[in-house]
Amino acid sequence: MGDSEFAYGSSLSVDSMKVIAESIGIASLGDDAAKELADDVTFRLKVIVQDSMKFMHHSKRQKLSITDIDNALKIKNIECQYGFIQPDSLPFRFASGGGRELHFIEEKEIDLSEILSAPPPKIPLDVSVRAHWLSVDGVQPTVPENPPPLSKEAQKLESVDPISKLSKPTNKDAAGKPMCGKAARLKASESVHVKQLATHELSVEQQLYYKEITEACVGSDEGRRAEALQSLACDPGLHEMLPRMCTFISEGVKVNVVQNNLALLIYLMRMVKALLDNQSLYLEKYLHELIPSVSTCIVSRQLCLRPEMDNHWALRDFAARLMAQICKTFNTSTNNLQTRVTRLFAKALQCPSQTNNETGVGPSMVTSMKESEKTPLASLYGAVQGLAELGPEVVKVFILPRVRWLGERVEGALSGLGGADRLAAGNLKHQLLKVLAPVVRQLRQPPDLPDDYKRDYGYLGPSLQQAVSKVRASPLAGGGGGAVAVVTCTPPLVPAAPSPSHSHAIISHAPKTVETVASRNVVISASPAPQSPAPSTPPPQKYVIVSQQKGPQTQPASGASHIMVHSSQPTIVRSQNSVVVTSGPAGGAAPPQKVVVVGVQPAHHQVPSSIPGQVSQAPVSVVAKPVFARGGGGPQPPPELDDLSHLA
Amino acid sequence: MGDKNTPLLAVLQLLRKYNLKGTEDILRKEASLGDVEYENLDLPEVELASILTAHHTESDPYSYEFAYDNLKKFIETSLDIYKHELSTLLYPVFVHMYLLLILYDHNEHAVNFLEKFGQEQEDYCQEDLKRLSIVKHKDQIKGNELAEIYSTNKFVVQLSRDASSQLKRFLHEQKSSTVIINIINNHIQVEVHDGPGRTQAQVRATTGGMLGEATRNENRTKVYYGLLKEPDIQVLPAPVEDEEEVEETPDKPKKKKAKKDNIFMKKPKSDPNAPPNDRIPLPELKETDKIEKGKALREASKRIQLGPDSLPSICFYTLLNSGHTAICTDICDDSTLLAVGFSNSNIKVWTLTPVKLRGMKSAEKLLDIDREAGDVLVRMMEEKDRDTCRTLYGHSGSVYKVAFDPFKTLLLSCSEDSTVRLWSLQCWTCLVVYRGHVWPVWDVRWSPHGHYFVSSGHDRTARLWATDHHQPLRIFSGHLSDVDCVQFHPNSNYVATGSSDRTVRLWDCLTGTQVRIMTGHKSTIFTLAFSVCGRWLASGGSGELIVFDISNGSPAAILPPLHTAPIHALAFSRDGTILSSGSLDCNIKLWDFTAITEEANGEEPGANPIQKEEKFLLRSFATKNSPIKGLHFTRRNLLLAVGSYEGSA
Repeated sequence: MGDSEFAYGSSLSVDSMKVIAESIGIASLGDDAAKELADDVTFRLKVIVQDSMKFMHHSKRQKLSITDIDNALKIKNIECQYGFIQPDSLPFRFASGGGRELHFIEEKEIDLSEILSAPPPKIPLDVSVRAHWLSVDGVQPTVPENPPPLSKEAQKLESVDPISKLSKPTNKDAAGKPMCGKAARLKASESVHVKQLATHELSVEQQLYYKEITEACVGSDEGRRAEALQSLACDPGLHEMLPRMCTFISEGVKVNVVQNNLALLIYLMRMVKALLDNQSLYLEKYLHELIPSVSTCIVSRQLCLRPEMDNHWALRDFAARLMAQICKTFNTSTNNLQTRVTRLFAKALQCPSQTNNETGVGPSMVTSMKESEKTPLASLYGAVQGLAELGPEVVKVFILPRVRWLGERVEGALSGLGGADRLAAGNLKHQLLKVLAPVVRQLRQPPDLPDDYKRDYGYLGPSLQQAVSKVRASPLAGGGGGAVAVVTCTPPLVPAAPSPSHSHAIISHAPKTVETVASRNVVISASPAPQSPAPSTPPPQKYVIVSQQKGPQTQPASGASHIMVHSSQPTIVRSQNSVVVTSGPAGGAAPPQKVVVVGVQPAHHQVPSSIPGQVSQAPVSVVAKPVFARGGGGPQPPPELDDLSHLA
Repeated sequence: MGDKNTPLLAVLQLLRKYNLKGTEDILRKEASLGDVEYENLDLPEVELASILTAHHTESDPYSYEFAYDNLKKFIETSLDIYKHELSTLLYPVFVHMYLLLILYDHNEHAVNFLEKFGQEQEDYCQEDLKRLSIVKHKDQIKGNELAEIYSTNKFVVQLSRDASSQLKRFLHEQKSSTVIINIINNHIQVEVHDGPGRTQAQVRATTGGMLGEATRNENRTKVYYGLLKEPDIQVLPAPVEDEEEVEETPDKPKKKKAKKDNIFMKKPKSDPNAPPNDRIPLPELKETDKIEKGKALREASKRIQLGPDSLPSICFYTLLNSGHTAICTDICDDSTLLAVGFSNSNIKVWTLTPVKLRGMKSAEKLLDIDREAGDVLVRMMEEKDRDTCRTLYGHSGSVYKVAFDPFKTLLLSCSEDSTVRLWSLQCWTCLVVYRGHVWPVWDVRWSPHGHYFVSSGHDRTARLWATDHHQPLRIFSGHLSDVDCVQFHPNSNYVATGSSDRTVRLWDCLTGTQVRIMTGHKSTIFTLAFSVCGRWLASGGSGELIVFDISNGSPAAILPPLHTAPIHALAFSRDGTILSSGSLDCNIKLWDFTAITEEANGEEPGANPIQKEEKFLLRSFATKNSPIKGLHFTRRNLLLAVGSYEGSA
């Protein structure tokens, strides 16, 4: 065939003819005959396909189906090809070997008796008609029946390439507002039209919606909350409100993590979940707000008032799952999201010996070493959970090598006195076993000897060995069923009701808070950013920033630096609780890391998380956000949420 | 060396003989002849002569490429005013060269030729070329629809007088090669028109038909596109039913009457283009029909005036759980019933109002009814038996079109089983099966006055029927390919057809002749709609939308191809100001038809149908993965759309 361009796949080859001939018992088909046949069959097939296209068009479809071919055969007086009905698309397989290349369709043998004995298939649902308003006086209402005003692809394009929105000549198609009346006149009269990247004003309805939704999400009425979350997860056309929603969540997390308000944190995470589940939203633009919030909920040292009683583990599990979902959805080769998140969690698991080996030794190093040794067990738990959700490979690389050190920590805590610590250690141990068992099972060969495990994995060895053998015994069980009472959270994550003494304070005030706060303005005062906070800076009255200055000799492996914040005084003048530290390693390989540090009480000084969020080349700077929280004893103050009106 | 090279060698020898060194070298290089053959060039003189004479130019595969190249060069170097008209010659010449090559058994050359020049042809020809390219042997020409059409019909090319004389001069110069001359003589009809050569846009607007443009003479006949004088229905029963309205404003009835006078009395009288009312016999209106008409008029008086500033509301009916099975839809004129035809040969009728669908009483019970009673129409219906949806069984193939008659007592359907069926919406059974089409029937439409209907199908004909005849009254044949859609003119005197040969034709019901042939579409036409005033015809194909002026058959406006999939639904608002189009790309678009017609009227008729910018598009509404299968404006100008949801995947 001369036209090489069309030839492949559009005409039957001589070889195919021979194969077909063989399959029906004609062993030696001559070359000439095969060629003649191939050409003729190709021609006939193409004519049939052409005619079947007509049937496709008249059936108002854009996909050719088997019935179209049958109909085309029928008008040519050829008998239909019976028995080729297939609900799913058939994979067209390719095989080569013996100098032959073949395409074929896999044919499964079907057991007729099985079909006969099987219960009859369900009767398909009857066709029904449903009416809705596609347009009311030329404006498309944003109801679930209508597509979202801005498609997910468009949102994605916009987040990747904001210029595209400017270059679009007219948004007649996309926007939900008509090009008539006031807008048109305005457009006509304005000679210079300054285009904004995003519309920042919300309509009155949208403001109302925002208020209702946020109140319901953090309010006390579980029914309303479910409705609100349902709306967030399903409604199209929320993208205009996304910036506010995300800020609401991130501010809310900042405040409530300080106040150890577990319930509200859970509510906020459920909001994140709902937004992630919404098919019409593309969240990439807002990840810099969501990821810090979510990771705070995973690794924060303290998430509730009574760590020994409240089930903050469930929140950590839930948030870890969210994080994995975010990584899965938004990871691209440009943002390296999963890498950065993995690094963040791995950092928390950094055991002192490794830190020592990997990083240079400096005065700051000593501190950081000491600190990381004291990484609270709850944070370790979160980090382990966060890594575990990212897949077995991550577990193998990041958790398994540190299991000995983790075991030491667990051992230490279990033998210690603190009740909370013991519980935490128990949970951590259980979690580690659960996570590691399937991985270890893959890695090691069957004779599981406790001694080997002890030698390889330290304190946790024997328990791990038991877990592994259990997994081996029942491959489906998946290594569950530990003795420690960890409540793994199931999707409708409802926080346990707080004890009566507090419940009144929290629950009853929650809705009110939003209202009261709504009228209050919060000023973000960016305190002058110290250009490079030297490690030896004398501690200011409120907090000390101990930052590890990364020299050029620093190995890339220790990309993000550890930053400590000591809230050195228990009674802070303005309750300066939430601190955002942005640190950029000078000349380091990794991009600058934005770190949210939340310190609460003097006894605790810790880095819960370091979040890769911002890619700006900003130098080290400290931004302090005043958050209203009344510390001290007495009745529990209402959890206050930051007002977002300053953004409008 | 095969005998292919023998003529070449002969030529070489001839060149050497006359000592034409330069040409010889070029030829050698081009034919890439080895030195070996070149050395033993000693063909006897006699043989040389025989080779050269026997080598008729038409059977020489090399001359084709050469000739085509020459023609192309001539067109490229001609003046700009001729260039675009002349370039329309390229495609038919190309096609016929390809077919000739195949005919003369130069199959490989034909393939090469297609590959070399096929890409240069206009984009809208590519699909045809693909269909043509499967013809690779002369036996296959017979079986191929397209190749047969080309070889048995003449391709029409319109040239200005100057351009055609240029062409003649060129052909005179090409004495050596008769290929092009023969093709142009045998297969191309050159229509010479007075006036200046047309611009590129003008040429592009009318090309695209399978056989080129329409000839001038074909569109000469006068078409009575005006509306018929409406029968006087002033004997309306007093609008007692509109009590609510009377309550609203006591002076409204007066106003309405005045308006009514406007609608009926003035317009038809002053229409010079209207055919006489008795040009084709129309059925007498029955008493019930008059009541229905009266209702329609009262509704119409409540109509909202639409325009760019007041867009219609759209109510979308989604067919759930239908997948790909729902094919066609229709909504009856008073917007109370919805019919859907399915690929499993069923037809379902839904009521869109709270009024349930009722069947007629059985024959014995009907006997008991007093036929003189005033409410006999109500009494004859079953009281118990009521449904919101009824199914009609009878076809044995996909139902491609359903259509309600203007008085919503009958339903027509056409199907893949090559029949048209008439159903009663009172006893819910099939009344008549019209057989006549040989192959699947693609479309069927009622006359706006009832009684007549027209169908079209794969057999390349459209047929006009009357409900009381089992044979068609007229057969409109002339299309070169499937007739994919039909539409009755509002005055019932004409029928428009759209076809896969990419032409729209207008037929006179009285004489059965073709009175207009309208080209400009570059793809199959799937739907047609006449404007309310009867002068304009909108046609939709695969994404393209053209408004033709049927007074002269020229495209009045070519709307920008904003739809990305075939357009299967078109509807004019009842006041004729808005054209709505619905496509398989799940979009409904609203076009400013007033602006379109103003633009077309502003120009001298027949000239400058330039492609308009997006200014005609008013709004676009997307549905959620529901391709649009039907559009309908209610009498009050609410737009109803029907689509079937195809799942979220």
